[in-house]
Amino acid sequence: MRLTFINGSPRGSKSNTGRLMDHFIKGFLETEDNTCEIEYLTKNRRSLTALAEKFAAAEDVIIGFPLYVDAMPGSVKEFFETLEPFMGKANNPAIGFVIQCGFPETSHNRHVEKYCEKFSRRMGCRYLGSILKGGCEGLDIQPGFLTDKYYQNFYLLGLEFGKTGKLDGIILEKLARPEHLTAENMAQVIPFINQELWDAQMEKNGTLDRSFNKPLLP
Amino acid sequence: MKYLVLNGNPYRDRKEMDQYIDRLFAGIKSAGHQVQAFVLRDMKIKPCTGCFNCWVKNPGNCIIQDDANEVARQYIASDHVILASPLIMGFLSSLLKNTMDRNIPLVHPHLEELDGEVHHKKRYDKYPVISFLLEKESFTDAEDIAIATGIFQREAINVRSSLGFVRFIETPVEEVLHAINIH
Repeated sequence: MRLTFINGSPRGSKSNTGRLMDHFIKGFLETEDNTCEIEYLTKNRRSLTALAEKFAAAEDVIIGFPLYVDAMPGSVKEFFETLEPFMGKANNPAIGFVIQCGFPETSHNRHVEKYCEKFSRRMGCRYLGSILKGGCEGLDIQPGFLTDKYYQNFYLLGLEFGKTGKLDGIILEKLARPEHLTAENMAQVIPFINQELWDAQMEKNGTLDRSFNKPLLP
Repeated sequence: MKYLVLNGNPYRDRKEMDQYIDRLFAGIKSAGHQVQAFVLRDMKIKPCTGCFNCWVKNPGNCIIQDDANEVARQYIASDHVILASPLIMGFLSSLLKNTMDRNIPLVHPHLEELDGEVHHKKRYDKYPVISFLLEKESFTDAEDIAIATGIFQREAINVRSSLGFVRFIETPVEEVLHAINIH
């Protein structure tokens, strides 16, 4: 199999999307003769048409992005727009998506998932499915017992995809947990994220006392 | 009331959306309201890079110096913002989406519970109502409209706003003016 991974993260090669997909790709490449090419949207911003042509000639494509204001980042949308000339063309690739968000629940990703499914149909591309994952902001500072689990599931998903060409429904379901948080979960998770992720960075930058600044007030 | 229209039509040669906005603008003004419109394609607005400087280094300010800062300033000063765009491949133009992505300095990084879900805390006391004015593509169907509207409802919650209306430019301007008045 020949996989093209288009990393749509505005953070380019230093992204949470890429961190997760590294494990998927590692699993995918375990099958002999499988190859994977990685394209970064940040490096292709001035040549989106060339990337669109590459897309059209590809076999299997996975497009990854972080959730930005409840949908794809504007720069990913721009890429979708450049694909319009290839809409309905025979031999379009099969496409899947990886959509991750900083919010701890996956429910936030569900609406843009519907968009991605419809987009695939409109393009005339076979839809491989969408990998949804919440809780992905600051993967590098999250405790290992959490991230190891995500990474292992991404690896297994890639391994299985490399063999069968299908995204395993059971692993997708595991990754998508929790869909919603219980009140109890929220009481634990919210203060943890606020302090360990955000306040810690502001403290380091000496900005914690200005955290609630309102600089744009008239 | 103070209104802001963000014209996210990227096509200079497709006038229907622009002309509709002109008529809407005149209608809002003649009803005695304040209204301002930005034509986003004539402004310099780079995509958000996800650096979070606006949350952790210089709270509330974006590090990228371009016109998005003025858009954010006017946005937060408004009572109602009308986001206008043709549907392109079933969703808002990347021009408008990039502008919306650049508004994240308006909320706070901290999370809190809101109706059983986790959302960002407010940075400002008051946020405008947001509405969407759209233009259909030749192939737009009911499913596209339902998917886009579903996302808009989510966006309104996450930017600590409420969703006003979602209308297409085939709607008579008077009807949209009426919808504006009740929200």
